[in-house]
Amino acid sequence: MKRIFAFTGCVLFLALVFVSGCTTSSRDVYHDEKMDFGAVQNVAVMPLANFTRDSLAADRVRDVFTNKLLSTGALYVVPVGEVAKGIAKAEIAVPTAPSPEEVVKLGSAIKVQAVIIGALREYGEVRSGTAAANVISVNLQMLETQTGRVVWSGSSTKGGITVSDRLFGGGGQPMDYVTEKALNDLIDQLFK
Amino acid sequence: MSLCAALLLVWGCAGTKEVSRNEAPPPGPRLSIAVFPVENLSGIAAPVKPIREMIIGQLKRKGFNVLEDEALEKFLVRNRIRYTGGVDALTARVLKHETGVEAVFMASLELFSDAVPPKFALTARLVSTGENPSVLWMDGVGLAGDDSPGILALGLIEDSEKLVTKALDTLTWSCADRVYYNTERAEASKLQGKFKPRISYRSPGLEPGRRPRVAVVPLFNRSGRKYGGEIMVLNLMRALKSAGFDVVESGIVRSAFLNLRIIMEDGISLGEASALFGVVNVDFVLGGRVLDYEDYEGASGTARAGFSVQLISRSSQKVVWSSLSLNNGDDKVYFFDWGRVNTTHAMASQMAQFVGDMMVK
Repeated sequence: MKRIFAFTGCVLFLALVFVSGCTTSSRDVYHDEKMDFGAVQNVAVMPLANFTRDSLAADRVRDVFTNKLLSTGALYVVPVGEVAKGIAKAEIAVPTAPSPEEVVKLGSAIKVQAVIIGALREYGEVRSGTAAANVISVNLQMLETQTGRVVWSGSSTKGGITVSDRLFGGGGQPMDYVTEKALNDLIDQLFK
Repeated sequence: MSLCAALLLVWGCAGTKEVSRNEAPPPGPRLSIAVFPVENLSGIAAPVKPIREMIIGQLKRKGFNVLEDEALEKFLVRNRIRYTGGVDALTARVLKHETGVEAVFMASLELFSDAVPPKFALTARLVSTGENPSVLWMDGVGLAGDDSPGILALGLIEDSEKLVTKALDTLTWSCADRVYYNTERAEASKLQGKFKPRISYRSPGLEPGRRPRVAVVPLFNRSGRKYGGEIMVLNLMRALKSAGFDVVESGIVRSAFLNLRIIMEDGISLGEASALFGVVNVDFVLGGRVLDYEDYEGASGTARAGFSVQLISRSSQKVVWSSLSLNNGDDKVYFFDWGRVNTTHAMASQMAQFVGDMMVK
């Protein structure tokens, strides 16, 4: 009898490890405790670094994030055309990874209190055996424009192949849905 | 009883019926118009000349006096006009002075596919000539041969000419109804809730007021579709006009861009918008990006449309509306393709209409 309980316990433990291994959400959040986030009213979302195979994915995610952030009503997001003008004016060589000095220059050029930069690490379909699903992995950072230092950093990974995808198929959730989920998660992390 | 029910079912499923209308002469004086060459935004070689001839024939039958081709050709050559996708203020003034026409009919072909089932999409507008040209009427139509196949595919249209004739008939009637009877096409107002913007932001400061004037600037095309930006500008112009905005003719906006030497880097900046406010005298400037604009040929595939827009206000010099719309033609389609949209035009025009309606509400 004891053996049966031990075996069942092992199976349950392994299943738990397996399920947690397949979990598609991760959180690595940093908030600068000295920063007064209430003072940030205008922000600029910079072009995101794109480490995926889809050359337009970063633009797409930036567009969705800009709209999401604006729709919260908590922050005013400067139009992308204005950001592009500011980048040219501040002579930022690599807009996806500006130096602290460049961030300060950009802040005064387009009158924003913070700049958001980030990188898209995964975007699109992933396959494992016969199962396939959409996945997104993105990380963002907020830099304040007085000193150019990082005041917030967050990351989110959504989608991917779940246990039910492996067992029953289905192909996962649509890319747009997964993208929105990841960006909602990042906005939650920012305002927490 | 069962026979009657079966008959009713067959009758109800037999696809959309073409309602023939009496092409009686208009109640007032006939409007004198020039029909510009059809702008080909389909991205492929398309029979634009026959389409233009069909448009002219239909317009004449519906009570319009159309300027002869020879006279139009001479006018275009004399004034060295090469761009016929829009009309700027100078062209409108000279056109009225030299030919006497009261308006210009401009059509932009968005989709032409004669693979079975055929597909066709076209947007057209009528712009007044003389001083202060304005958009008098604007409408579009996107049809696929399998839009209403009905039972046993009795409603399937396999002949592309038949489909084009049907589409142009709808469009020219819409124009005649607006010009002569001041009424709008009934189908144009039917919107499906699934085409609402996915994300939207409306500033508390947005008060459009009575008939606000708006300029739609070129949209950045991030889709794989050639001319996706130009097509979406037309859809948005039409939607904003329908929502009650006074939309500036795209030819005037284009001319202002050239005169101000505006080259947008990633979208319109506040400085560029400020310059436009003064030159074209508008309350708002609408810009954005096209993310998806995909049509498909044949019977299998999915139409996709996605775009984001931002409305910049002259009074606050800020973004007062921002939205993101993303849809597929098979969104919320669960049984037997019920509710499926087969052309991106049909979908994008509804998505744009929601944006326009939500801005003014």
